[in-house]
Amino acid sequence: MADIADLKIGSSDFNPDKYVRELSQRCVGGQELQQQYQKIQSLGEDTSAQLKRNVYQNYTQFIETAKEISHLESEMYQLSHLLTEQRSLLAALASTSLLGGTNAGAATGGESSTDVTAEPEKQFQIEDEERRRKLTAALEKVEGCVDLIESPARSVIHEGDLLELDPTEGTAMQRMHAFLFNDGLLLAPWIPNRRGPARYKFQTLIELGSFAAVNVRDMGSVKTAFKLLAFPDTRLFQCTSNQSKKEWLEKFEAAKKAALAQEQPKRQESVATSETSPVRSSSVDSSSGMNPFEDNCAVSSPDIAELPEWLLELPEDLDVCIAQRHFEDAYALLQKANQFTFPTSKDPQLLDIRRKVDGRGRALIEVLMKELEVSPDKSLQGGLRAARRAVRLLNQLGRSSQACDLFLKLCSSILKAQLRRVKREGATVVYVKHLGGIFFSNMMDMASEFLRAFPNSPSCASALVVWAGSELTHLTSHLVKQVFMPQSPISTLSECVVTIRTQCDQLTSLGIDLRYQLDGLLRSPLQRALSDARDKAVEAVKLRAVEDKWRPTNLGNKDALTKFVMETGLSPNHMQKYVQGESWIVLSASTVAFTRQYLSLLEDCLRLCTTELAHTVDQVLTDVFGAQLSHVEVNLQSDKLGNPEKSFIQKNAAFLLSELLPLVTKTYQERLNNPCQTLEVLKTKFSWMKPADGDGGEPSPAPAPAKRPTPLPRTTAPRPAPTKYSTVTEYI
Amino acid sequence: MKKPNTQPALHKVIMVGSGGVGKSALTLQFMYDEFVEDYEPTKADSYRKRVVLDGEEVQIDILDTAGQEDYAAIRDNYFRSGEGFLCVFSITEDDSFQATQEFRDQILRVKNDENIPFLLVGNKSDLDEKRKVSVFESCSRAATWGVPYVETSAKTRSNVDKVFYDLMREIRSRKIEDNKPGNSRGKDKSKRKKLKCVIL
Ligand SMILES: Nc1nc2c(ncn2[C@@H]2O[C@H](COP(=O)(O)OP(=O)(O)OP(=O)(O)O)[C@@H](O)[C@H]2O)c(=O)[nH]1
Ligand SMILES: [Mg+2]
Repeated sequence: MADIADLKIGSSDFNPDKYVRELSQRCVGGQELQQQYQKIQSLGEDTSAQLKRNVYQNYTQFIETAKEISHLESEMYQLSHLLTEQRSLLAALASTSLLGGTNAGAATGGESSTDVTAEPEKQFQIEDEERRRKLTAALEKVEGCVDLIESPARSVIHEGDLLELDPTEGTAMQRMHAFLFNDGLLLAPWIPNRRGPARYKFQTLIELGSFAAVNVRDMGSVKTAFKLLAFPDTRLFQCTSNQSKKEWLEKFEAAKKAALAQEQPKRQESVATSETSPVRSSSVDSSSGMNPFEDNCAVSSPDIAELPEWLLELPEDLDVCIAQRHFEDAYALLQKANQFTFPTSKDPQLLDIRRKVDGRGRALIEVLMKELEVSPDKSLQGGLRAARRAVRLLNQLGRSSQACDLFLKLCSSILKAQLRRVKREGATVVYVKHLGGIFFSNMMDMASEFLRAFPNSPSCASALVVWAGSELTHLTSHLVKQVFMPQSPISTLSECVVTIRTQCDQLTSLGIDLRYQLDGLLRSPLQRALSDARDKAVEAVKLRAVEDKWRPTNLGNKDALTKFVMETGLSPNHMQKYVQGESWIVLSASTVAFTRQYLSLLEDCLRLCTTELAHTVDQVLTDVFGAQLSHVEVNLQSDKLGNPEKSFIQKNAAFLLSELLPLVTKTYQERLNNPCQTLEVLKTKFSWMKPADGDGGEPSPAPAPAKRPTPLPRTTAPRPAPTKYSTVTEYI
Repeated sequence: MKKPNTQPALHKVIMVGSGGVGKSALTLQFMYDEFVEDYEPTKADSYRKRVVLDGEEVQIDILDTAGQEDYAAIRDNYFRSGEGFLCVFSITEDDSFQATQEFRDQILRVKNDENIPFLLVGNKSDLDEKRKVSVFESCSRAATWGVPYVETSAKTRSNVDKVFYDLMREIRSRKIEDNKPGNSRGKDKSKRKKLKCVIL
């Protein structure tokens, strides 16, 4: 079934309305529908969880890929460098193995053949390749001039060995190798004891415009020389022959002339283009698509010109902002971009920017969500305040639901961390009070922070309520495990529960009422605890019954007596009847103990009582009281006891029925605003035990009870009277 | 300070002027005592010669530049290295005389020195019948520049030595002046040199 649902929902033509209709037709009864609903819900949860996981995985993969790419990039650089080295090495090998002339001839031949066949750009490319190759090959031999290769337009015009002479004395100084480039002269002395591929060591590169070559007329030892005037230096170089000197001087001149010629057309061109460009664009308008390159230029360049600079730099700026955690700035930039009305044209650059900006927007959201995400290695020190910024920005970015989700998760982990710090030591009540205090005060803070962060958002508010509910469930299940144990006295439990309830009620000030949920969660454990308490109390009644000697009780001193009377809350006037002397009370020890126990039980029950628990509470109160009354009844009907004892027992019965029970029902009525039906039943049921005068009367041998149900024949004693209370029956 | 003791002082002279005025002819006459009738435009030639100047052996370094140099920018590199200039025109060609103003301006700009050793030379004085530039005209221009004016002939060797020696003298005296401590001009230079001496 679930698989079918999966299939259907996953399909592209999924129609939710139709699906639901079919489902509701197929399902019989609410139960089945409920099941379907749960199935779909769990499917939805699974899907969202998977989505989250996928997003995260993609993100990490993206980062890794980016790293990998930059890695690859550097490797490619190295590779290309190696390749150029290899190529120049091979070229050098070729040129040394072959005759220079044939090599050059082959090279020019190749060039001329390309001239014919190849398009101009291609030829240019080939020439450029050639130029680069030559340059690389040349500079391969020079140590310390790798950067010179990178100059895009540099080419070698001439090179050769020279002997540098002292300009004043004309004596030999050092062996030089010189390269004349189109833009300068490189001078590199020979390396005396060379190792490795480099033969020369870079000395200087003189710009073409900043030196002058001068022929030196032979004089004395200085022959076949030329001079370089590179202010402030004048350097003298001797060539190997007059021919080579002539060549050098010609090349210098040619280079200078070429440089000047290049400069001048450039100037002219710049003037020309500024004049002609409008003409060109208009011509394109009239006859578009004549030349794809020109067309492209003409169309995109005005667009690009229109694009503001900030927009072009936006992706990079966003990267910087995000990296430096200037999230607000990043958001402002994104806003600016969103407000910018992108031209509708399909210009690739615009689309690219748009795409990049969108990507950066997503990245920003990811980073912000990461901010909020809880991870074990992340400190929760900052608390919720630290999350404010990210939440605010995510809200602004329209990611409230994710922000809300993450925020609540953060709350959960903060809460958990806080609660974990509470050690269980000392009294249970103290522990629970502490735990609950931390739980609810945190929840207060979190809820108010939440409401501040997500104002006017009903969906977020409901998420908060759901979250609070689930946190409360956690807390209660913990408390149930920790506190609701068979050995825990009901008094402790009631105190704990009352504490938690009061703390829980604080939340109503923020409009969050979890009381109903809390009570609901505690209902069954409390029911169990209450029945336990009842069983214990009944057990105690039974134990005391065994030892009941039906004699007045000495409480020890007057104070204890007064205390007892005060504790019971019975009216002293009424109690006067039961007081004898300084410290005696004309009630059996069992009655006194029961009174104490029952009143405390009553208090606990009343404190715990909620509408849902009322039934259980009634039962507990009635059962326990009934057990005591049964004990009295049994003894009153007993044949073993004589009249004086019977009279005393009757007095006890009178106390229980006329003093204690009315007090209990009254208190019950006062506290719960409704009478306890079962206790009323008890009153009528046992009312025969009350003395005829309806009052306890003097502690004197009372007459036999006026009403007596079927006096038992002595022979059949000790058979108990039939009673509803099985426990009591068993007890006998 | 060993070199100046072993090597004679070197004075760098630059020949400037329009093409065909006789710069090379003057240089060759000075260097080799010969006159070349054929005109072969110069690119840039450098000559060196040991001469005795007022009893002191010195070296003269002559840079004969191209008068036909189209590109004024290239001349800057030559001019920078010069210590003194012979600005030559042909008395038979007014254009060459007019051009001297341009050369003068460029030299002053490059050297940035009003008092650079400089001679205005009117060549081809042997062709007086073809004179186009009057002595008066030339003298007054030289006067405005504050430089001597000399008329020469490479062909007859008239005043050839004089212009070179006069210029060398000026260069020499300028160097002495520059080396004088407390001189208003080139104070820094002299200081630097003095400092150098101290170090050496
Ligand atoms: N009659 C006469 N002819 C001269 C004199 N000086 C040079 N000439 C001639 O003028 C022509 C040009 O002389 P050059 O010395 O080569 O001229 P230049 O100034 O060096 O010219 P560029 O090198 O082009 O700057 C040659 O034919 C020389 O023979 C001179 O004093 N008298
Ligand atoms: Mg010449």
